[in-house]
Amino acid sequence: MSSEEQLLVRKIDWGTVIDHIPNWRADQVLKLIEVESLIKEPDVSVIVLKSVPSRKYGKKDVIKLYHYFIKEPDAALIKLLFPTVTINFIKDWKVQKYVPNLPEELVGKVRCPEVTCISNARREPVVRRFAVLKEKGYVRCYYCDALLEISSIPDFIAA
Amino acid sequence: MVCAPSKTVIRGEPPLPTDSVNAFYKAMPIRRRVFVLGDRETRSAFKSDLRGRDIVSAKDLSRDELELVFEVADDVLANSSAYSAVLRGRRVALLFVEPSTRTFSSFYIAARRLGGDVLPLNEPEMTSLTKGETLYDTLKMLEGYGVDCIVMRHPSRGAARFAADVVSAPVINAGSGSQEHPTQAILDVYTILKKRGEVDGISLGMLGDLRFSRTVPSLAYLVSNFDDVELHFIAPSALQVRQEVELYLNDRNVKYTKVTRQQDIPDAISRLDVLYVTRLQKERFPDPSEYERLKGSYRVDMDMLRYAKTSLGVMHPLPRVDELDAEIDRTPHAWYFDQASYGLPTRMAIFALVVGEAR
Ligand SMILES: [Zn+2]
Repeated sequence: MSSEEQLLVRKIDWGTVIDHIPNWRADQVLKLIEVESLIKEPDVSVIVLKSVPSRKYGKKDVIKLYHYFIKEPDAALIKLLFPTVTINFIKDWKVQKYVPNLPEELVGKVRCPEVTCISNARREPVVRRFAVLKEKGYVRCYYCDALLEISSIPDFIAA
Repeated sequence: MVCAPSKTVIRGEPPLPTDSVNAFYKAMPIRRRVFVLGDRETRSAFKSDLRGRDIVSAKDLSRDELELVFEVADDVLANSSAYSAVLRGRRVALLFVEPSTRTFSSFYIAARRLGGDVLPLNEPEMTSLTKGETLYDTLKMLEGYGVDCIVMRHPSRGAARFAADVVSAPVINAGSGSQEHPTQAILDVYTILKKRGEVDGISLGMLGDLRFSRTVPSLAYLVSNFDDVELHFIAPSALQVRQEVELYLNDRNVKYTKVTRQQDIPDAISRLDVLYVTRLQKERFPDPSEYERLKGSYRVDMDMLRYAKTSLGVMHPLPRVDELDAEIDRTPHAWYFDQASYGLPTRMAIFALVVGEAR
């Protein structure tokens, strides 16, 4: 077994496993957790498994985050987009299932799709807020009422 | 850094001509309600929970609150002199970050007629005063001046909600980008009430650019307070009513149809009690040739009104360009001049209820 393969199967001493992501959707989850900033951390490694066999769903994606516990708002956002996802925290090699609270409001994370919205004005100190209309499949901007489909959220993660 | 305003708070008579305003009153047929200034009902009305409230969205107003505004507007029309000191000692800032003459003047005269002090911040003085500072800083500056109310027009959607969160004084939205214009909708519904006698059961058509009109969402939200309302959105697909408006109407079980094909317009017109016309602007079309092809179908003239009920009222937030033929002015269909005249009493009523002295 090469050292690369060993890394792939290596167990996590501590970190997060995001499992049962719908097939080929891992990239969207990576956007939601803003992986670009995460990987700047020296201890953090990210393993992405795409299109692996799943007993329940046929095919699935899995993301393993070494040495990072995802934050609740991120976890909630992932669950909102992909309700099938299960999130496990690993602490001292032991697996702990994590179920985030689904928020009624998304704060700070998501950018309004309406370019003329005050929440997109660069210099104004506006805290981005969206009401979650889960049944309808939308979130709604607190300021301008614009609707954003929940499935489109990964494209509107605030920069 | 904020510099002191070149204009201080103005006291005394407004510099705008008021003769035309007086003419409104004289020309207006007023059906008096059993509603007398100073009786118990009025006093309790003035202690309503509209006091200190932000008027950011038409969605925030219940039917009761709206009817209260209308009752006070009626009373303003009937007893205008009794309102001359309702805002005495109150300072109202008019913060217009987007050029506007009519809405600005309407709010200005309304506040002055109630005896309020007005801090007018209109373009271009607005720009020189704020020198490119953020809206947040401008609002904080006004709060520092101790204003009792901020009336704001701003090109950004959501700006009014943001402002209401930033300052403790009540904020009245005088237009927030393409989002809403609640006081226009209040005067629109008041017009319907005055001209038609009731709003319940109305079949209301909205025609033109429904996607970028700030008036259309507010009007749709307000009339959804009434019973058996039917809305007809008459516009090409690209300029149809926004998704969030539809979602709101569905939530409130309001019946509506979207009329997107030119050939369906006559049939839709024939069903209406009121036709609300907004301007169709060339620059809103993704394809300019589309505009040239369609503009004729969305121009309201006597030819289009052939299909209408004789009682059809035509409304328009004014100013119009050529989407509304002047020929209609001479017919009983023309409600838009009366509509314009109701801007003042309704805005006076809003000021009285939100910032007025309790009696
Ligand atoms: Zn927005």
